[in-house]
Amino acid sequence: MSTVEVEPEGGAGTSVRVRRPRGYLRIGNLVALPVRGVTVLAAIVVLVLTVAAAVATLTLGRLGIAPGDLLPAILGGAEGKEKFVLNRLRGPRLVVCLGAGAAFGLSGALFQTATRNPLASPDVIGLASGAGAGAAIFALAMPGGAPVWLGALLGATGAMGVVHLATGTGFRDPGRLVVAGIGVAAIGTAITQYVVYVVERDKASALSAYVNGSVAARSWADAATIGLVLLVVAVPAVVLSRHLDLGEMGDEVARSLGGNPGRARTCGVVLAIVLSAGAVTVAGPVAFIALTAPQIARRSTRGSGPHLVLSTLVGMLLLTVADLAAQQLPYVEPLPVGIYTLAFGGAYLGFLLTREWRSGRL
Amino acid sequence: MKADSEVPDGDSGIDTATADAGPVAATGVVLRTTVLLIGCLVLLLVALFASVMFGSRTTSFGDVVDVLTGHGDPYLTTVVESRYPRTALGVLAGASLAVAGTLMQGVTRNPLADPGLLGINAGAAAGIVTGTAFAGATGGWAALWWALPGALLAGGFVHILGGGGAGGGTVRLVLAGAVLSAVLGAYIQAVALSKPKVFDSYRYWVVGALGGRGWDVFWSVSPLAGLGLAAALLLGPGLNALALGDESATALGTNPAVLRASGLAAATVASAAATAAVGPIAFVGLGVPHIVRAMVGTDFRRQIAFSALLGPALLLLADVVGRVLLRPQELMVGVVTAFVGAPALLIAVRRMRVAT
Repeated sequence: MSTVEVEPEGGAGTSVRVRRPRGYLRIGNLVALPVRGVTVLAAIVVLVLTVAAAVATLTLGRLGIAPGDLLPAILGGAEGKEKFVLNRLRGPRLVVCLGAGAAFGLSGALFQTATRNPLASPDVIGLASGAGAGAAIFALAMPGGAPVWLGALLGATGAMGVVHLATGTGFRDPGRLVVAGIGVAAIGTAITQYVVYVVERDKASALSAYVNGSVAARSWADAATIGLVLLVVAVPAVVLSRHLDLGEMGDEVARSLGGNPGRARTCGVVLAIVLSAGAVTVAGPVAFIALTAPQIARRSTRGSGPHLVLSTLVGMLLLTVADLAAQQLPYVEPLPVGIYTLAFGGAYLGFLLTREWRSGRL
Repeated sequence: MKADSEVPDGDSGIDTATADAGPVAATGVVLRTTVLLIGCLVLLLVALFASVMFGSRTTSFGDVVDVLTGHGDPYLTTVVESRYPRTALGVLAGASLAVAGTLMQGVTRNPLADPGLLGINAGAAAGIVTGTAFAGATGGWAALWWALPGALLAGGFVHILGGGGAGGGTVRLVLAGAVLSAVLGAYIQAVALSKPKVFDSYRYWVVGALGGRGWDVFWSVSPLAGLGLAAALLLGPGLNALALGDESATALGTNPAVLRASGLAAATVASAAATAAVGPIAFVGLGVPHIVRAMVGTDFRRQIAFSALLGPALLLLADVVGRVLLRPQELMVGVVTAFVGAPALLIAVRRMRVAT
């Protein structure tokens, strides 16, 4: 990321000079996405890296498609083994990674901006544990061929419903959200652990792997699901972006500028939940993408604002790279992708912590 | 959280009453405390008795009294005596977790602080996983011996990384705990999912249960738990001074940094001992301090003493409920406390002052 750590335009010592307003991408009166040089540069870098990771995902390994054959294969000329690898083994898995990563990244950006908590994500309020519990209950109640993804979706929505009811103020008050989330997460974890305790070992192991978040053996239907979720959420998210930007200046200022910070916050949290629930449905509760992607996006451009687009791209990159590691790392048994993101997220958080600590800000 | 209002001024009603009305009100406080103390003791006795009475094999009140007085028939004596270790473990774990929670919430001034924040759970789990996978512990409860060093190492590491004590940087402490929990979590899952034997000892421990352990487990962790509890009792007066703010605490002749560090160390030691023995148990460390504060106010000497009584009582009662609910199977106490504690927390959320 060091390549894109450029000082924002203006830099230091410009307090006297009148700054011209930042560039905005405007569509009518409704949409105004801030566009800055640094952001565009960062987005291009992230996109290039993502494409590189995607190509590596399809080409590496014993079953990889030879790099020269890749483009023709994607354009429709796949035959035999290549067709199988592209259409069944790795293609859907890659698209699910890209889609779920994008959804987690955007979800985290919306949630962190809406709750004004830079270390928050829908997982903090119990979404992941709810999904795990739903999957566990389905696995226990309907042994053999139960649609685990449906359990995860119901669990995630149920958990969010409980949080909504418990706070009494809906999703408006960040403080209450966190506390209610602790309670909901505890119940979800208890259910999952109980089921993992009582079922026989193989099933418990499979369930445990799913609860960590895994994209193994996905189909095009999963890819379509997450694509649909992203499509549905994209437009409201872009419209909301400006309102969330206003909210960053504080509720008072936002209100005096004609915004409705409470409503913007609720909308942000709801959209974040929908995105995360969609991603969890296809990929399981993958840890830390929603938390780290917006952090990386914000830190690489050093700008203010929700950073929706860049967070989305970083989320795609992170999950794709993590899954590449899950598939190709030598000497390690194939592990669910969620374990890699957990390790990476922990390490990244540790890195941030020591940096803040060294610079004396914490 | 409700403690937002309780910690600063929960006791003020009593204090102003004492100041205004002199000895009469002071007697009232003593009376109230005595009544509460007797209530807690009775509750603990009931819980102890229930814990040796209920189980998959039904025993009546009379049977238990016979066994306790030494006149029981041999079979029933065996049945009842088999419930002694888990009862003792319940007392030890309940007291340790509740007192550790009280210390944590007092030192960090965070009403949501809980021993799990210190990375203890992750450390103990990592110890179990490492012991089973690489050091030849033969699955089952043999792995428990590895939980204690794991928990202590993790707690120590979080203290060093988080710089607990120096300048009261408790945010750093919490973040350090989160970092360690995440990294260890990845390690635990990676090892557990690739080795079935490891996975078994991990999943049986992580659910949190009192049953299935013998006296050996109790005796191996009780010195450490006792050390933590004793330190907590000694720290009471100092923590009272600390609650007035660092400057007042210094003026009163205490050293805030040392107090904070020793409070956290005592909490670490006590909760590591409990967690190693019975697994992570939710809400005892978080919830009991809140109940106790609502009962006896903010005096840490009283808070710690009452936590040490109420924690075991509630944990044992939860365990009894778990044994009765699905008889002859049992529901692990970790699951029961989550299902009791979480709804209580969700109801308490509504009483929080809206922050915005």
